[in-house]
Order: sequence, then structure tokens, then C-alpha cells
Amino acid sequence: MKSFFWENLRIALSELWSHKTRSILTGTGIVIGIIAVSLMSTLINGVDGLFEESMKFLGRGNLYVEKWPWFGDEDWWTLRNRPRIELDMADEIKERSQYAMVVAAERGRSANLSYNELSAENIYIHGVTSNYPEVSTVDVEYGRFFTESEDRTGAQVVLLGSEVAKTLFPQGNPVDKMIFAGSKRFRVIGVLAEMGKFMGAFSNDTQVIIPLATFNKIFHGPWGRRSITVKVPEHLVEDAKEELRGVVRVLRGLKPEEKDNFAINQQNAFRQSYQGIKLAIGGTGMIITALSLLVGGIGIANIMFVSVKERTREIGVRKALGATRSQIQGQFLIEAMVITASGGLVGLIISTLISMAISEFLFPANMSFGVAFMAIALSAGVGLFAGLAPARKGAKLDPIEALRYE
Amino acid sequence: MSLIQVKDLYKIYQMGNTEVRALDGVSVSIEQNEYVSIMGPSGSGKSTLMNLLGCLDTPTSGEFFMDGTNVATMGDDELAHIRNKKIGFVFQTFNLLPKSTSLRNVELPLIYNGEIKAHERRDMAIRALTRVNLGDRVSHKPNELSGGQRQRVAVARALVNNPAIILADEPTGNLDSKTGEEIMTLFDELHKQGNTIILVTHEEHIAAHASRVVRLLDGKIAVDEATNRGKKVTQ
Repeated sequence: MKSFFWENLRIALSELWSHKTRSILTGTGIVIGIIAVSLMSTLINGVDGLFEESMKFLGRGNLYVEKWPWFGDEDWWTLRNRPRIELDMADEIKERSQYAMVVAAERGRSANLSYNELSAENIYIHGVTSNYPEVSTVDVEYGRFFTESEDRTGAQVVLLGSEVAKTLFPQGNPVDKMIFAGSKRFRVIGVLAEMGKFMGAFSNDTQVIIPLATFNKIFHGPWGRRSITVKVPEHLVEDAKEELRGVVRVLRGLKPEEKDNFAINQQNAFRQSYQGIKLAIGGTGMIITALSLLVGGIGIANIMFVSVKERTREIGVRKALGATRSQIQGQFLIEAMVITASGGLVGLIISTLISMAISEFLFPANMSFGVAFMAIALSAGVGLFAGLAPARKGAKLDPIEALRYE
Repeated sequence: MSLIQVKDLYKIYQMGNTEVRALDGVSVSIEQNEYVSIMGPSGSGKSTLMNLLGCLDTPTSGEFFMDGTNVATMGDDELAHIRNKKIGFVFQTFNLLPKSTSLRNVELPLIYNGEIKAHERRDMAIRALTRVNLGDRVSHKPNELSGGQRQRVAVARALVNNPAIILADEPTGNLDSKTGEEIMTLFDELHKQGNTIILVTHEEHIAAHASRVVRLLDGKIAVDEATNRGKKVTQ
């Protein structure tokens, strides 16, 4: 059996070689299909990695009380007209909620920073309570975080994100230096460890952190983000969310018939909405793949019928010399599979190059061995399927008539 | 038992309402190392008989024993095996695979044999090509060979499996008379070396190479006699 396989493979390759243009045109549909499927899986894998990496910034057991929901289709004006979140609710929440382990409050807005002649523009200033490290992934690399008393008294101290530190202090330790945020002087007390980007876009390293009381003292007005983070046990997060909703409703004095005028956000919202996006990407990819493989497969079947017709006499000779039906059928099936598998291989090479480019410029997206294997198996499968009818036709030819065919 | 034993062989085609008796009760025996030519005008059943003897077709009725096995009732794949192991075909139009070298063409029956290793196949094919004096043309493709050389490659291909019979269908039909004679000399030599040869032709001087001639007419054997050459041998 082995010798037939190699013989058939040899025949297939020499046939394809002698009809180069035809083979390339025929294989193109498969190339496109395989690019679609392998690139799609690689992208989804890459985006998955990115997503999970980003989700670390939002603890699983964290509930965020905010004015704006992260996702949803509520009327923009209704949301716009909600009262802003009163950050001093944080202490009340801590007191009333049974699930809350830590309650931290934060505000944010952007401003320009400077040190001597160096400046950093549009830096996100994050005003947080001193318990913020307990609800986030911030990690102090040099120096220290601020204390509760520094927060209470509104001390003008700041922690720099790693990028900000590099910009303002290209050489040297920033700790204990004085920088300007707008017109106010701050003493640098620490530098944060590098954190990376959220969803590949928003860098967490271009922020600075100051005490919330200091923020309130300096920046008046309604702008910027306000959020209360409530950390609860991860496995009770759904119960805790209901309780928290009740607590905030009571604190805001809402009547039973009134709707919530605040949002409780959590990681899950991201997950659900991400699943939707992923399904949409995957579904589109599958449709493109299925269509191009179907069209490609029809092309292959068509060209194989032509090939069987053209080589009727050859089939006659082979049969006269003792080829059985299954040997002839095998010959044409292998030929079809060689076309599609080569198309698959080319598609795989192209999508590997594309994913390398994506990894270089956008986010990590590596072609996995499983995806590569699936792409080749899928393309060979299309060949098997498309080649079946032509191969059977060739195998069933009557040797006498085939030998007489001109 | 004879190498080929055919008894009351019928091949009947139904063409619409009319029945065409391509073979109408043919009985013939061919012995080991016989050299037989089959002659007859077109429509005499000559081709049909050759297709049946070549196991390319099955009869409507009758008995056909080849080397002791009943071939008349075999299925497609069994017939393919018989063709592969017992019969060597030489065609009028050579029927070589145009894109393959002489060596590859001659190897083909061995590949379908399925039991012969690659290096043995190569050796056997080179030996067969050497027997037809083409030992120096193994890597040539058919379009690089003359008509006579192509037919010799085809003869080498017919020989390579060491078949029980060599079945040649108008082997000189596409060759000029000089080259044709060369090919016939080659068949004469093969016959002397002990091969059984069946030659289908409509040319008397080609048929004269054989020692026996079977003449068909209207699907029946009209004459079955020794040729002059055959008579000389028996005298």
C-alpha cells in the first residue's frame, strides 16, 4: 500500500507542476479560507490573552459604584442627568454592608506635570484613598505609598507611574524631588512598578497617584471620574452586589418605585460584553472560512473532473497494466488533497507572517501548533471531499473505452 | 491443460432492438510458448476477442481458463490482478505516459503489483529495457524517443512482469515498414526465449511472423491453421 501512496504523491506533484497556473488558481480559494480560519483563531487567542491580562486590573471581587455603567443601552441623557457619586458615601457603605471588606474611593482627571524644564502632558491624576493598594494591582517599586494621615490632611505627595517617572526623571531617583502639577508643588514619595496597558490601549503607567483629600482640595468642579470600589469575597460577589445596591439606594434616599440613579460595575460586565465581541469575530471568521472553503472546494472538484477527462487515456493504460479501481481513485484523491493541502500550507505561512506583524505592532498573537494542525487537516479534508466524485468517476471508467479515448 | 482455453465464448451487445453477436461461439486453445496471430476484417470480432483474452472485458457466456483459473466470471479488481500478473500489453499507439521517463513507464506494472520493493522495481525495469536494447535510454521521456524506440519501451513494459502471455494489438500499425520489421524481429526473439505471444493484425506479412493464424469472420473462427513458418517448424 505504501508504494501506491508514494507513487500517487509523485504523480500528483508532477501533474500540479505541469499545470502550475491552473494549480495556483485552483488553490487560491483554499488559501483564503485557511488564512481566514487560522488568523481568526490566532487573533481570538491573542485577544483572549490580552483580555485576561487586563482583567487582572479589575479584581474579580471588586464592585465599582459609579455614575456611568460600563456597558448597556440606557438613554444617554438619563445617565448624564444622574447625580454624581458622593465619595464620602464610602464610609457609610463600609459600615452598612456585611460583605464589604475594603471600601476605597477615587477620582481622576488629567493634568500637565513638570520637573525643572521637563514636562509630561495629559497625565491622568488619580486621587485615591490610602487603602487603594488593597483593591488594585498597584505596586510600589521605589519609595512608599502614602499613609492614612497624609490622606486625611491632604498632604501634597505623589506616586509616579513608571512611564511618568522615566519622562520626568530620565536619569536618577525621583523620590523626594518636588514636581509641579499645574501650579501646585508635590513631593514624590514613590514610583509604581510597571503595569502594562488595559485592553492594549490605555496605559496604566502614565498615571500618577495622589491622596484623595489632596485631589479634592486642588481640583474643584464636577469633571472627571468618581468611583467607589467595594471589595467583597469573590464567591459572594453576586449577593454582595444586590446588598450594595440596596445600601446605596438607602443612602441616596430613593423611593421603591424610583429607578437606580447609579451603576454598580464589575469585571463580569466586561466578560459578558467581551464574549459577545468574541462570538461576533469568531462567527464572521467561520462564515468567511466556510464560504471560501466551499467555493474553493467546488473549484477543486471542477478542476478534478477536467483532469479526469483529460487523462482518460492514461487511466485506461493504468487499468490495462493492472491498476484497480481503488488505486485509480486513490491517485485522484491524493491529487486533490495535495492541491488543497498545499493551499492550506501557503495560507498558513501567510497568516503566520500576518500574526507576527500583529504581535510586533498591536498585541501578542501567536499561531499555535493546534491551529496550524487544524488548518492543514481542514484543507486536506476539503480536498478529500471535493476529489471524491471526480476520483470515483475516473475509477469507474471502462478500460476498453478509456484506451480508445482520443 | 493449455495456457489459454476458451470454449463457446459469446459476447452479445444489445443495440436498441437488434442483437449484435460480436463473438458467436468461439473455442480456441493456445499452448505455452505458442506464437499466434489473430486476423480478420473490421467487425469480425477480432478486437472483442483480444479484449476478452486481455481480461479487459468479460464474456456474455462461455468458458475462459487462463493458466488454470476461470477468468470468465471474475470481477473488476480480480481481472485487474490477472492483467497485472499474467498479461503484457503492446498497443498500436504505444500508450506510454508522456510525462514519465522510460524507466517510470516500464516500472508501472510493478508498482501496481504492490509487492515489489522500489530498488527491485528499478532493477527489473532496467533489465527489461536492456532486453529491448534501450539500456541507454532509461531517463528519456517518450517525446525524446523515436516511434520504434517508444514501441520498444512499450514492449519492455509488457515484459517486465514476466507475464504468461504478451498481447500485441497491431504493434506495427503506427510505424514505418523498416521500424515495423525491427519490432517484429524483437517479437521473434522473445518467442524464441520462451514467451507466449498473441498478435492481432490485419497485415498478412506481419501475421506471417507467427507460427499459427486464427482468422475470424462474423464472430466465428473461420480458419485456424499453421502458417508457413509454423509448418517449417513442425516439419
